[in-house]
Amino acid sequence: MAEKTTLQSIGCGGTGGDLTAVDSKDGRIVRIRPVNYLDTYTEEELEPSLWKIKVGDEVFKPGMKSAPNYFALAYKNRIYSKNRVKYPLKRVDWEPGGDPDKINAANRGKSKFKRISWDEALDIMESEIKRIIDKYGPFSVLTIGEDGHRESKNLHAGGGMHSTLMSKLGGYTREVRTPDSVEGWYWGAKHFWGSGCNKGLGMPAPPQTGYNPWHVLKDITENSELIAFDAGDWELTQNYASQAWSRLLLFWEKIGKEFVIVDPFCNYTAVCHDMKWIPILPNTDAALDFAVMYVWITEDLYDKDYVETHSVGFDKVKAYVLGEDEEGIAKTPAWASERTGIPEWTIKAYARKRAKMVTAMVHFSSGAIKGPYSHEPGRTAAYLLGMQGLGKPGVQQAFMNASLIGKETIARSTSAPFSSLNQCRMFYPSEQKIPRTMIAEALLNGSVNWWGSPAIVYVETSEQFDMNSYPTTAETYKAALGTVSPELANSQGKTIEELQAAIDEKAKNMPKFSQVHMLWSEKPCNMNCWDGGFRYQEAIRTNEVEFFVTNHQWLENDSLFADLILPVTTCVEDNDVMGGSMVVSLRHETITPPGCDRVGESMSDFEIACKVGERFGVREQIDMGMTQDEWLRYGYDNSRLGEEISWEELNERGFYFPKQDPDADKLPVGMRQFYEDPENFPLDTPTGKLEFWSDALATNFPDDKERTPMARWTVGGPEADGWTHDETLWGQRCKDYPLLLVANPARFRVHVQGDDIKWFREIETMKVTGKDGYQYEPIFINPVDAEARGIENGDIVKLFNDRGTILVGAYITERAIPGAVIVHKGSRVDPITDKLDRGGAANLISPNNHVSKHCKGFAVTGYLVEAAKVADAEMDGWKKDYPEAFARDYDPAIGINYNSWVVE
Amino acid sequence: MKAFLIDLGKCNGCYNCQIGCKDEHCGNTWLPYAQEQPEVGQFWMKVNQYDRGAVPHVRVAYIPTMCNHCENAPCMDAAKDGAVYRREDGLVLIDPAKAKGQKAIVDACPYNVIYWNEALEIPQKCTGCAHLLDGDEPIKIPRCVDNCTVDAILFGEESDLDLEGAEVLHPEYGTKPRVYYKNMPKRFIAATVYDPVEKEVVIGAKVTASNVELGNYTTETDDWGDFWLKEIPAADWKLTIEKDGKSVDMGVSTKEKDLGLGDIALA
Repeated sequence: MAEKTTLQSIGCGGTGGDLTAVDSKDGRIVRIRPVNYLDTYTEEELEPSLWKIKVGDEVFKPGMKSAPNYFALAYKNRIYSKNRVKYPLKRVDWEPGGDPDKINAANRGKSKFKRISWDEALDIMESEIKRIIDKYGPFSVLTIGEDGHRESKNLHAGGGMHSTLMSKLGGYTREVRTPDSVEGWYWGAKHFWGSGCNKGLGMPAPPQTGYNPWHVLKDITENSELIAFDAGDWELTQNYASQAWSRLLLFWEKIGKEFVIVDPFCNYTAVCHDMKWIPILPNTDAALDFAVMYVWITEDLYDKDYVETHSVGFDKVKAYVLGEDEEGIAKTPAWASERTGIPEWTIKAYARKRAKMVTAMVHFSSGAIKGPYSHEPGRTAAYLLGMQGLGKPGVQQAFMNASLIGKETIARSTSAPFSSLNQCRMFYPSEQKIPRTMIAEALLNGSVNWWGSPAIVYVETSEQFDMNSYPTTAETYKAALGTVSPELANSQGKTIEELQAAIDEKAKNMPKFSQVHMLWSEKPCNMNCWDGGFRYQEAIRTNEVEFFVTNHQWLENDSLFADLILPVTTCVEDNDVMGGSMVVSLRHETITPPGCDRVGESMSDFEIACKVGERFGVREQIDMGMTQDEWLRYGYDNSRLGEEISWEELNERGFYFPKQDPDADKLPVGMRQFYEDPENFPLDTPTGKLEFWSDALATNFPDDKERTPMARWTVGGPEADGWTHDETLWGQRCKDYPLLLVANPARFRVHVQGDDIKWFREIETMKVTGKDGYQYEPIFINPVDAEARGIENGDIVKLFNDRGTILVGAYITERAIPGAVIVHKGSRVDPITDKLDRGGAANLISPNNHVSKHCKGFAVTGYLVEAAKVADAEMDGWKKDYPEAFARDYDPAIGINYNSWVVE
Repeated sequence: MKAFLIDLGKCNGCYNCQIGCKDEHCGNTWLPYAQEQPEVGQFWMKVNQYDRGAVPHVRVAYIPTMCNHCENAPCMDAAKDGAVYRREDGLVLIDPAKAKGQKAIVDACPYNVIYWNEALEIPQKCTGCAHLLDGDEPIKIPRCVDNCTVDAILFGEESDLDLEGAEVLHPEYGTKPRVYYKNMPKRFIAATVYDPVEKEVVIGAKVTASNVELGNYTTETDDWGDFWLKEIPAADWKLTIEKDGKSVDMGVSTKEKDLGLGDIALA
């Protein structure tokens, strides 16, 4: 029945996925399935491309069939979702022109949409951009959505095409990542072990390899005995791109690795493998780590020689841990037990086990690393690795960018694809910018200040000491132009004098910076992926925002608050070439032509930028006058693929696995060279060594009591006393909100993606059907906490704090511990009214404040809430007060959908 | 005869098998093998899951379930006009044309894996993806098997599969299923044993669960002070924990559920 098969690289993270084959008939998808490589290549042909790890007699290889993530395998349901945006949509009570009486800003997220033509949509884009630029200058356009959290596309990728276009029209204000998902490493651990992976992420990688952590998983497989999952739920998070790690975990089990998971939630990795689960109260990980240090110091269980030769400032941490400092509190297991809820004996067993066995740590973007004051557990986790000889065989930290096994001859890094066509402006400096975590504050207050670039990669640790502002001022503009140095001059191919002259000239002609009045999002999920979601909703409901446009495939989240929505293709519909470069079983380069007809009138972000560019006469500056086929060939020509396979053969075969480098083993393993020879292979910290105490922090932020020069147990407190957070069980707010919410990623979503996949919504624990027939997002709650609140399985529950209320459905389980409840982040918003949402999007009630005073990252898990059963009278009251919210079309299979928000 | 072998020891609860079944049969009609599966509500392959134990000794059991393609298939007996038939390769199929209106086919299955399609008025269930086995599609194996990334589901000639130690669901039904399971969960008893004076876990304590009829099951506590008596029957037990002359006894029951007993003081 299927007539045509194309290959696709479907991943929700942007860097591709394990291969899938898409079978179709008459332009419609029949099925999406894994790919058997032997259908295309012989074993002999594949052999040079396959990595392998040998441990004893056991050999681990990538397998001859791909291991796609389950999103890819369910993507037919996503592509043909009832929630797809098929046509351009305009909010019914918004008119172009910026007139407060005609934009009805307060109705964003309330009023519905109607279908318009592409011509009308492009007319609006042209006239509004022109009007707003003329009135306020180009910097009044804020381009939202840089990188990440989207589909995997190459030429057609979104997340910066609007910036590319606006750069041709005079400029734009850039919304920059903060950097999310690696907060604790970025704001904390970087001051311990240097800027790390990709020169900035904060997970360890040596400067000498261009900040690449080679062979980390191989080293762990060969040499680690205990694998400590600290903030990474691999069975879940791997689905960013594949399920290759399920195979690795089985291999690790087979060769006798032991595992421990410290997590408030008995997570999806812990429940199906032989692992020791140590439940911990959210955001108390630093207390546990200090107690581990206490055991190690008092029982002589750490690598003293290494600490002596590879680090500075350990004496200060040691004094703090032993209570021999001015504070005088020993961080004993008993002390930590009171804070973490872990029995004292288990803390001691954990400490000794980690010392006795060669221990690697695994991280993947969950837990304390994304909570309030995350730089503290980020640093203490790093200290533990430092005390056991980071870089020693098996003493590693594994993380997403260190997921590569093997190394191809033509590899550019552990994370980069083999070819790049992406025309999005990402990580690209703009003269005016706003951190993603500060958009609401910037819109509501008109100005914000912060420290740090911030970008997620290619930022030195010292940039965290730079003050930035929105709007850009003469002072911050000058600072952004850079300090004249031989390095900077050299990097620009200029002499020092030429560089100075260029900077002076730019400073003299500083553009007119203004506040933003138009928002253009290529990733409309800020209220749900980032922090303080309800406040974000409030901010985009102000008259200051004259025009809010989103490009998106599905009618969800921020798009519900937009004035204009432009329909976007999914990756399967585009003519593209997309490889897979992170968290895949075998990295590939693949020709990915359209696998089906386009849904509705959708276009890719690249095509939309070209169309809008046409209106301004700049299209040729975006597509360079090339056809899409010419672009695809251009990407190949500019890669190193030609060294191994011709363009013709690549097209004929459809995919290619570059050959393994015969010299791969010569690459240094993880942090091994630093371990072996710290003098010749220093870190990029100021001293070149691990800095348990950071003089740089002491010098730059002498009065910061939240992030002091070394990690501490930080509780926080009232704002009046200068604290950013009071989100623990030892402050004031816990009296009203006594539960700690864990809002880690969901099993069957990637961030906010996939909430409308019907086949997932049927899975137990994905949704809880309330007695009103609505599918609520589950709250995992321990029987003790449920009983204390009179909550029964399946009850509709309100979860609230002083930032608002979301409705969820009770799932009573021993996977949750007393005192902590779990609501996976990323359920789609379904607004009832201001600060009240039925969809269960956890980040709506997350802190508006950031990691800490000088660290403007988000805190989106481990914060205080209370839960209560929703009484019938209360629900009836809402229905009476907000009838329109309850009257929206609801399909039990998919929930809210296109029909809920579009009028005929 | 074709058979399925599902190793629950490998299953990670990813639901790829359930999703693959939906992907193959929702929106696609494979006549004469099967009518389209409704987009939601039917599960020709269904992963059942349940929580086991108590904090901090918790697991989740994931058990993919499907038509057992029984040798003594009650649905065949309940069907009129040969609406349910067995192929030469052993797969049991419902003929969607002949089965119209025959709700008795649904009711006949003791495993509850046959669904009633209200709109089409037909019973529907797993076909073993017979249309793939016979046809010209790009793959020749059932989708649940093809989709599994860890080879937890195998399909092949019964005689070729390694069935040693394998079990079937509810053998007492007497239908002789051809879907076999390895590492089927039984019951567990788990706890952490500690010394309340020293406030240390107790490593190497001997743990015995005894039942007059079933005998003794023993294990030792590990570096975490934990013991896991795995794969024991559902029964009443006398549990004894002992080390260095200290011991505790308790009566426990696994009749209703797995037991996570938390932290137990050995005094």
